[in-house]
Amino acid sequence: MTEVLQNPVIEVRNLVKEFPGVRALDGVSLSIRAGEVHGIVGENGAGKSTLMKILSGVYQPTSGEIAVRGRKVHLRSVHDAGGHGIAMIHQELNLVDSLSVADNIFLGREMTRLRMVDGRKTRAEAARHLDKVQAAIDPGVKVSALSVAQQQLVEIAKALSTNASILIMDEPTAVLSEREMKSLFDLISRLKSRGVTILYISHHLSEVLRICDRITVMRDGRLVKTLDAKEASERELARLMVGRELREFFPPIAPAGSEILLQVDAVSSPPRVHGASFELRQGEILGFAGLIGAGRTELAEAIAGLRRRHGSGGGTVCLRGDKIEANSPRDAVARGIAYLSEDRKGRGLTMGMGVAENITLVSLRRYCGPMLHRKREEEAARGHIERLRIRARSPRQKIETLSGGNQQKVAVAKWLEVEPKVLILDEPTRGVDVGAKREIYELIAKLAAEGRGCIFISSELPELLGMCHRICVMRGGRIVTTLNRSEASEVLIMRHAAGVKGEAA
Amino acid sequence: MSEAGEHNPPRLGASMLSRLRSMPPWMGALIALFLLMAITGVFEPAFLRPTNLTNIVNQQSVVGVIAVGMTLVIILGGIDLSVGSLLALAGGAGILALNARFDPQSAEWSAIGIAIVVTLAVGLAAGLLNGVLIAKGGIAPFIATLGGLVAYRSAATWIANGGQFFVEGSRSFRELGRGIPIPGTNIAPADADVKPYVLPYSILVFIGIALLGSILLNRTRYGRYVYAIGCSERAAIYSAVPVARIKIMTYALIGLATGLAAVLNATRYNSVNSANAGLLMELEAIAAVVIGGTRMQGGAGGILGTVIGVILLGVIRNVQVMLGFESHASGVVMGVIIIAAVLFQRLGRRE
Repeated sequence: MTEVLQNPVIEVRNLVKEFPGVRALDGVSLSIRAGEVHGIVGENGAGKSTLMKILSGVYQPTSGEIAVRGRKVHLRSVHDAGGHGIAMIHQELNLVDSLSVADNIFLGREMTRLRMVDGRKTRAEAARHLDKVQAAIDPGVKVSALSVAQQQLVEIAKALSTNASILIMDEPTAVLSEREMKSLFDLISRLKSRGVTILYISHHLSEVLRICDRITVMRDGRLVKTLDAKEASERELARLMVGRELREFFPPIAPAGSEILLQVDAVSSPPRVHGASFELRQGEILGFAGLIGAGRTELAEAIAGLRRRHGSGGGTVCLRGDKIEANSPRDAVARGIAYLSEDRKGRGLTMGMGVAENITLVSLRRYCGPMLHRKREEEAARGHIERLRIRARSPRQKIETLSGGNQQKVAVAKWLEVEPKVLILDEPTRGVDVGAKREIYELIAKLAAEGRGCIFISSELPELLGMCHRICVMRGGRIVTTLNRSEASEVLIMRHAAGVKGEAA
Repeated sequence: MSEAGEHNPPRLGASMLSRLRSMPPWMGALIALFLLMAITGVFEPAFLRPTNLTNIVNQQSVVGVIAVGMTLVIILGGIDLSVGSLLALAGGAGILALNARFDPQSAEWSAIGIAIVVTLAVGLAAGLLNGVLIAKGGIAPFIATLGGLVAYRSAATWIANGGQFFVEGSRSFRELGRGIPIPGTNIAPADADVKPYVLPYSILVFIGIALLGSILLNRTRYGRYVYAIGCSERAAIYSAVPVARIKIMTYALIGLATGLAAVLNATRYNSVNSANAGLLMELEAIAAVVIGGTRMQGGAGGILGTVIGVILLGVIRNVQVMLGFESHASGVVMGVIIIAAVLFQRLGRRE
């Protein structure tokens, strides 16, 4: 029964995973060599996460075989997978905030003496494992006191403490700063030299190329190709991911109009926003750059009435000269200001409801009279699904079953429904695959060409540079400078955003 | 790990589970209800007599009307613990108004009308108060309504001096607690003891309120907002949903429903026992909602399930009386059913 395979530490054959109505994995075969760093890339919905969840015992495959170190196995639970030395570091970290680092590392495997938890031994052992990841963290402190990067190290230490020899990392750099990223990469190469096999999932092709030995590209639940990282290029990977050549990435942008649409004057919401003033013209795409915590989201929320404006009068927001009520999201929306939240799952969309219900949530009044016209609602949703090419089986499909890019399109559709005059897009392409990104760019360009004002908040400078007429740079809750498209560059923006010395900011 | 299990994952179990998932969440309660009725009917045919079945629904109509309101509140992501005590206070207030306005010289119906309005008004006012405390005061629903649970019961017993509110004088008030005799249902006209079948008003009220609640939830903007807030209040705020208004409306509606239930209760007994009326009724209403498949965290569920839950609880109580079980043990059975219902739902949920 048991076949012995050589060399590969994990061998997957013809893996199929079906969810109701969707075939998330469609016959994937893949072998992972012992001790390699193996990158998995693909658009959202390509099947990366499903594959990794099967390997870590979260999902059971519909059919297909998995062999670990040459032995056929059934990974029925995370615990099972752990028994075979497989551990997954999830994108959302799974630590208990109120427990200490040491207690977290040994959660569920407490070290006991006389049936009582042995705190001293726990801390000593935890320190030993933290050492392996070279984390200067006191095992006695509570997890809540740690930065996200530190928490990630604790997760890795925890995985190593279970003698895991295969680590699956799902978008580990998504939450890290540049410097933290570098030390993570150092850690990965150290772990590799100790014989740990690493499966590395990421959207960032440059990262994958930098740290992986081999890279597997997935698309539509299938494995497209596995390449040696040395022979691969970003361009090649991107082409394999979307299945076509990526031409000119950003659409042409029409010139902005001259009429001032939105006038923001000395808007304050301490401690995050201090006296921000700017103007937005008709048809203009105004970018907002800044580091995390610079106050961009908070300023947007203050404009949209979602965050209290206070401190030195709170400032004013006028749309075509009409003052917009502070602290009233309903007034802002009624006047034509739409805010697409960066927090898609928590704030932007209502998980648990269908696509159509989400699309019409803001504009529901239109489909009532006084009873809901479900038919008309569905028709409207179908229209958006078609126009924005949302991949959904039916307008009543639950939103959480859509991929990130399609969810984002639904969130955009919800705001297009109210025909906004000003559209504030907060990180609209975050967690969205390459194809959907391009579609979102085209949509923004089109909305601006129609004469709407667009505020585009993003942490990806290339897209701001490629899309915006002007870019405001924020730091410490203030707009420190506004750059024209012609003068802006990544270096210049970063200097202002970080407040580099010698810069007049 | 058996060899057979190695090759084929447990297909049978898997397909049953997936079928379970596609079933509406109230199906478990409905199946339990039918099984219970069928088995009891075999052992005790009298159970299936129309009079007995009518009796069960009639008995449950008071808690049923409240449970419809509770469904809205729970889908909204809230809870209302004050309804049982409010039933006693509102009903008592109505009887006090009736006694004060009753005048043998003038038309009785005006006094009864005022009594009903007072009962409904007390319910509505208490509901509004809950709603404002929760939506504007930012008090957790559990706490805000716990205050009502304690205070309203105490107020009722205080006013009634620990005893009952009796209807004095009015003879027609209790007529409202009866029903419509259906002509032609007198099966043995020769036998004077066999009376025609009577359809109680309270059943009609219960059905009417259930229909109304269902329309409100599924066919109006208000209902859509209730689901949206229950799924994610934050997302609702970010979508410019009038969250505070919807919350206040929902607690006002359950208050009004409780007032209506108090009318049904007071007319049935022609009195209100300040210490016992509606005692633990909040928990029975919540139990009915949960058994009916509405999610305790909010965002999903419906009235149909609640109606099934309400009737299931009534049947359990009736069956135990019919089969001569210890009546004090009925709580044990109900407890087991509630837990079973929730376990069944968890089984049906994805992942």
